[in-house]
Amino acid sequence: MSGIYWYKKLNNKAYRSILTGAVLLCAAPAALAAGGGQPAKESSMYDPFVITMIIIMLILLLAIGLLANVVMGAASYYYQKEKEREQQKSGASAVAAVTTVLLLLFAAPVFAQGGNAAIDAAATVQATSSFGGLSPTAFYFIVGVIGIELLVVFMLLYQLRVFLAKEKLQQDLAAQVVKKPGVSFWDKMNKLKPIEQEAQIDLGHDYDGIRELDNRLPPWWLYGFYVSIIFAAVYVWRFHVSHTAPSSAEELQIAMVKAEEQKALYLKKSASNVDENTVKVLTDAAEIAGGEKVFIQNCAACHGKAGEGSVGPNLTDDYWLHGGSVKDVFKSIKYGWPEKGMRSWKDDLSPMQIAQVSSYIKSIHGTNPPNAKAQQGELYKEEGAGNTNPADSLNNKVASATNK
Amino acid sequence: MQVEQFHYDNKIVKQFAYATALWGIVGMIAGLWAAIQLYAPGATLNFAPTTFGRLRPLHTNAVIFAFVGNCIFTGVYYSLQRLCKARMYSDKLSKLHFWGWQGIIVAAALTLLLGYTTGKEYAELEWPIDIAITLVWVVFGINMFGTIIKRRERHLYVAIWFYIATWVTVALLHIVNSVEIPVSLFKSYSWYAGVQDALVQWWYGHNAVAFFLTTPILGLMYYFLPKAANRPVYSYRLSIIHFWALIFIYIWAGPHHLLYTALPDWAQSLGTVFSIMLIAPSWGGMLNGLFTLRGAWDKVREEPVLKFFVVAVTCYGMATFEGPMMSLKNVNAISHFTDWTIAHVHIGGLGWNGFMAFGMLYWLIPRMWGTPLHSKKLATNHFWLGTIGIVIYAIPLYWAGFTQAQMWKTFTEEGQLKFQFLETVTHIIPMYVTRSIGGSLYLIGAFLMVYNLYKTIKKGRFIANEAAEAAPLEKHTSHAKEYWHRWIEKKPMTMLVLSLIVVAIGGAIEMIPTFLVKSNVPTIASVRPYTPLELQGRDIYVREGCYTCHSQMIRPFRDEVARYGEYSKAGEFVYDHPFQWGSKRTGPDLAREGGKYPDSWHYNHMMDPRIMSPGSIMPAYGWLLDNKIDTASTPAKIRAMQKLGVPYPAGFDKIANKDLMTQANGIRINLKMDKIETPKDAEIVALIAYLQRLGKDIKATAKQ
Repeated sequence: MSGIYWYKKLNNKAYRSILTGAVLLCAAPAALAAGGGQPAKESSMYDPFVITMIIIMLILLLAIGLLANVVMGAASYYYQKEKEREQQKSGASAVAAVTTVLLLLFAAPVFAQGGNAAIDAAATVQATSSFGGLSPTAFYFIVGVIGIELLVVFMLLYQLRVFLAKEKLQQDLAAQVVKKPGVSFWDKMNKLKPIEQEAQIDLGHDYDGIRELDNRLPPWWLYGFYVSIIFAAVYVWRFHVSHTAPSSAEELQIAMVKAEEQKALYLKKSASNVDENTVKVLTDAAEIAGGEKVFIQNCAACHGKAGEGSVGPNLTDDYWLHGGSVKDVFKSIKYGWPEKGMRSWKDDLSPMQIAQVSSYIKSIHGTNPPNAKAQQGELYKEEGAGNTNPADSLNNKVASATNK
Repeated sequence: MQVEQFHYDNKIVKQFAYATALWGIVGMIAGLWAAIQLYAPGATLNFAPTTFGRLRPLHTNAVIFAFVGNCIFTGVYYSLQRLCKARMYSDKLSKLHFWGWQGIIVAAALTLLLGYTTGKEYAELEWPIDIAITLVWVVFGINMFGTIIKRRERHLYVAIWFYIATWVTVALLHIVNSVEIPVSLFKSYSWYAGVQDALVQWWYGHNAVAFFLTTPILGLMYYFLPKAANRPVYSYRLSIIHFWALIFIYIWAGPHHLLYTALPDWAQSLGTVFSIMLIAPSWGGMLNGLFTLRGAWDKVREEPVLKFFVVAVTCYGMATFEGPMMSLKNVNAISHFTDWTIAHVHIGGLGWNGFMAFGMLYWLIPRMWGTPLHSKKLATNHFWLGTIGIVIYAIPLYWAGFTQAQMWKTFTEEGQLKFQFLETVTHIIPMYVTRSIGGSLYLIGAFLMVYNLYKTIKKGRFIANEAAEAAPLEKHTSHAKEYWHRWIEKKPMTMLVLSLIVVAIGGAIEMIPTFLVKSNVPTIASVRPYTPLELQGRDIYVREGCYTCHSQMIRPFRDEVARYGEYSKAGEFVYDHPFQWGSKRTGPDLAREGGKYPDSWHYNHMMDPRIMSPGSIMPAYGWLLDNKIDTASTPAKIRAMQKLGVPYPAGFDKIANKDLMTQANGIRINLKMDKIETPKDAEIVALIAYLQRLGKDIKATAKQ
């Protein structure tokens, strides 16, 4: 009976192509994920996104495997019956056989598609390897794979429905056909020996009453192990032989370059690109309030809540260690005076925030808060302002001498 | 054939079982206490021994070596006798083993609380205790092999393979990682420094998980699960493959704890790929456990013992899948240094180890007392409390870890870090609260078990010596064709040696090049040894367990470079005996703390962290302000460092204290300028000196 011959052949082929597909597909995105070492991981957005995509890919792949298995099971069950019926009334349902063969033929390209996708995957790994982040290519590739996988899932579901419909029809036609208790999908997937046949694989060991069976290794487990070994080889190859994956230090460089570009682009577009040469005292109440907020959060610990000074100097008096103009204050905040304990804030505060807090500091000048710290540094006089007190200047020199 | 009569020794099993329950409760309380401190810093009681930095090592050591350790011994002493059809080799050795181990635990608890620590995670115990551990471990080994040798069963069952591999590997790990040079009775320095110390430490740390928390428990699973289910083991060939693959591959995976650090890239890659290859061998154990229950699932519904085992084995499968995923660089970039890791280990600890221990005790105690369990219902309640506890424990921490990592890495469009470190901490405090609720549920469950077992014991009569009989082993004459693996199952010594060879390979290949090939740790000329004051400060840092919350390892990420400064280089750590890279950032990284804040900032911050950083969860370290630096130890410390190859000039030990005082005086004057009066020999001065030194050497090169 040629139908059965074809079925077997197709079945084998389909299995093999699923397997290859699975191996390649599993290895590819994983290698892509781990190996790509996308500096995209630096950005908060991409990483979970990429991981989610890959997980979706794998889950769909698993679904395909499961469904394919079910379809295959259904096909074999159907054929078994077909054969029985043929023996009874030979060659009656030729039409049905032909239909099924057609269906199965249809299945082959579906699986072939899966295989192709896998090969594409492998190819893309090579192609994207030079890309730092999740390049558009990689993105479209992943989306493409998910699309194809979805398509395959739908096709398999459709086929399954066709089989089920046929089965139902036949059951309706011939209710007397007794259903055979086939091997469950779970048992098949794990190559489990049915419990009733357990005696066949009992090894006869007896350790304090514990017996041992000799079940075959679950195929998915074994092939998973092989895949992990392939993954290991590909990984080491990419990182240490072909150098198509970036080292940790290279990843940082890529990320920094990208960050600089983004930052420059943003600053060019926005108006907040102030620096120590262009900064002016802001007088708008909202700006000062913004500055005050930043001050309380970041500066108050050392300079006091009212700027009276504690660990750091008093910011409300007329004396300044590093200049009292808004430009000088801006500069001190931005770059810090690390050797004197004032840290740089340029990585924590935006230029605009530094301008706000500088302006706030200018705004609290002369407020004479309680517990003010003794004056330090040089007397600073706002340009255009009046008198100098020589006594203050003397004090200031004494102070700066003791505060070295 | 003459059948011999003999008795199994249940008394030793009983002792270990009691110890398991006791130390389990103690270890869990320590853990809960430490967890509460993360949102209620006052819970340290402002008392040095009960601060997080000392409590956390106590918790980890107690649950690993006291709770799980005693659980292993309980199971091994029970199952080994029955699998070998022989009483333990020597009751005296059993007794010595038991009391020796409990003595070590008590000594460990006391010394850790007093601040005697080597500063290496899961190997914090000081050198005299390390020696005691070695001796007791040898006693255990002799007792175990003595029993195996006088066995009445020709072949060794798979559980025993795991016991043998455990014994030999733990011995190897412990000895290699504990090479240290004593300074005084309770102070030593690790023989290794910096990168090498990190590699050895995580080779040890990772394989403590592998060979103390995994392989022996797998051995227990292979005995107790089929016994409790009364089903044959699913697959003998799977046992063989997963056993050898597991012990061979596990040992390589240590460097996955050091991804993106200053460890050479090739070693990091080995850590990653071997972790991935570890999935299948680990799952082999899970499958063999779960499939053994085929045909017994109806029993699972009724039998709490099996319920515990099922969840334990499932947690084992989850943790051993998650672990390899976290070893992928891009996942590790998110998970490492966050609470994700803590969640991960507790799936293993609470789920796998804890539930295996509970299941085993529920099975053993009724049998040894010849009576049914007092209340199955109570045990089932324990099971549900524990399971829900694990869920409520783990999910918030996954959430916290992920959230914090995202916050660390977020930049504003202007290119600034969006969040201050402290904001990322205060943000996840609700998760910490929830986690401690989960932990409490789990602990309550453990109390239920103790009560249940107590009632069972009261009801029954203890069978101290259980009668058994078996024929003695005859000289082996059969030449029948056997499964190829059977020959080694007859040869325990060959098994021992083979296991040793198999586990030695991975470690050797990773360590030898890191030690011998110079390019793995490029030297930096400006990196100098610590001054005596800084060295004393460093020892205080180690004593207070600062490494339990602060890392000293800036990874090459944009956000870390922006937040902490230039990423850490291997050459910066060459004088760090031991390394202090840490594994968790509850607080910010300190690798470049030097010069970031004034001395007075540190002074105030140590006195009460919340003065300088409102909302901080760091404990206050008031005693550092009063304690005096132990200057008497300075010369010995300098000499020890010289022995380790730190290039202090000859005779420096004699003038070290003078140098120390000069530097201390400078800091005292500095503090005085900010209106802080402190004696120059206060411990805080030494700690400030150390903190102000951190990560600065490399900047000197930049200036030149």
